[in-house]
Amino acid sequence: MPSLKDLRNRISSVKSTKKITSAMKMVAAAKLKKAQDNAEKTRPYARKMSDIVNSLVENNKSKEFEFSEKKTKKTRNILLIVCSADRGLCGGFNSSIIKFSKKLSEKIINDGGQVSYIFVGKKAYQSLQRFCGESILDLFSDIANPSIKFELASSLRDKILELFRNDSMDECYLIYTEFKSAISQTVQSLKLLPLNALETSDNNSSNKSYDFEPSEEEILNEIIPKNIAIQIHTALLENLASEQGSRMTAMDNATRNANDMIDNLTLFYNRSRQALITKELIEIISGAEAV
Amino acid sequence: MKQFKLEIISPNEIVFEKEVDLVIFPGSEGDIGILKDHMPFLTSLRVGIVYIYLEKKIIETFLVTGGIVEVSQNRCSLLTEEVINTNSVSSTNKNEESSNKDEINLKRQKEKALAKFYYS
Repeated sequence: MPSLKDLRNRISSVKSTKKITSAMKMVAAAKLKKAQDNAEKTRPYARKMSDIVNSLVENNKSKEFEFSEKKTKKTRNILLIVCSADRGLCGGFNSSIIKFSKKLSEKIINDGGQVSYIFVGKKAYQSLQRFCGESILDLFSDIANPSIKFELASSLRDKILELFRNDSMDECYLIYTEFKSAISQTVQSLKLLPLNALETSDNNSSNKSYDFEPSEEEILNEIIPKNIAIQIHTALLENLASEQGSRMTAMDNATRNANDMIDNLTLFYNRSRQALITKELIEIISGAEAV
Repeated sequence: MKQFKLEIISPNEIVFEKEVDLVIFPGSEGDIGILKDHMPFLTSLRVGIVYIYLEKKIIETFLVTGGIVEVSQNRCSLLTEEVINTNSVSSTNKNEESSNKDEINLKRQKEKALAKFYYS
């Protein structure tokens, strides 16, 4: 049985842990609000952009254009852009991203493809480092300090396009966490390249035949890189919001657990103290009786 | 005058969303005016000013630095990375303003003529 001093020490250490977790929760809540606002503000732009690109690509099904699928190659080189957080203590956020990417890359390798990686955020990089070995192309960290800049998305985009153009990559997926609410986030993969028409059942959108100015090709060449950059940017913003949401819930849980633990320990401490007093009394009384 | 929906969207926010009569924007190959029932249309933008007309008056003007306009099914979406409402930009130098008065008058006349042309 632990002594009273041990118990006191434990209680005070749990109390200071609780202070830390509740402070982290409040910080995460404040950051979440901002991140969520940012993520939601970019959504309409990104959605409209991808709508336009999709309908353009759909109209162009039969034609070949710069970013369409290359059908000649046999082995596929696939690039995964894994977005995670720079820091831990955010519940299952990072581990679910890592699990998802691992699963996806194993599937690709089983299908006879080759995988390379670009990491955004340190956490996934640290734990997948051994797993992926030398196929890591790049790491971007400290992206959200102080806020996510559009330049990061554009530089990522430039990198991807360069790889795609000189044939060292055939397909590109973006792995990120979609923010639904503070308590629910899902890991997703988004295909950035090549562009092929979505197989949607509704024919409303595909019947549009646009008038172009300047030419269709020029517009496609301008709009596709733009679209890729904005999709990456939104994914990063969503990822940040998810991270903060996940951290907030994790820290909330931790604070609650710490509270429970303090209650239990205090009860135990009081009981032991009482038992000790009773024991001493009995000793004194029985000692007095013997005299 | 029949109206259609115009939206100006930037990555940071939806800047403008309203039913309007006419919008004139700087397309990459020349200025373009869009009225109701325009055919599906897609163009890129150059740097310039977007004029939005409602009931024969300019209600809002925006400065854009590029972007893309999509017109389909009486819906005009202007996607641009950088957009500034010209009302928020004011000349700091009053003398400059007065000396430019003639220029401004000339510009107004041009705008009026343009509006007349589209509404006729």
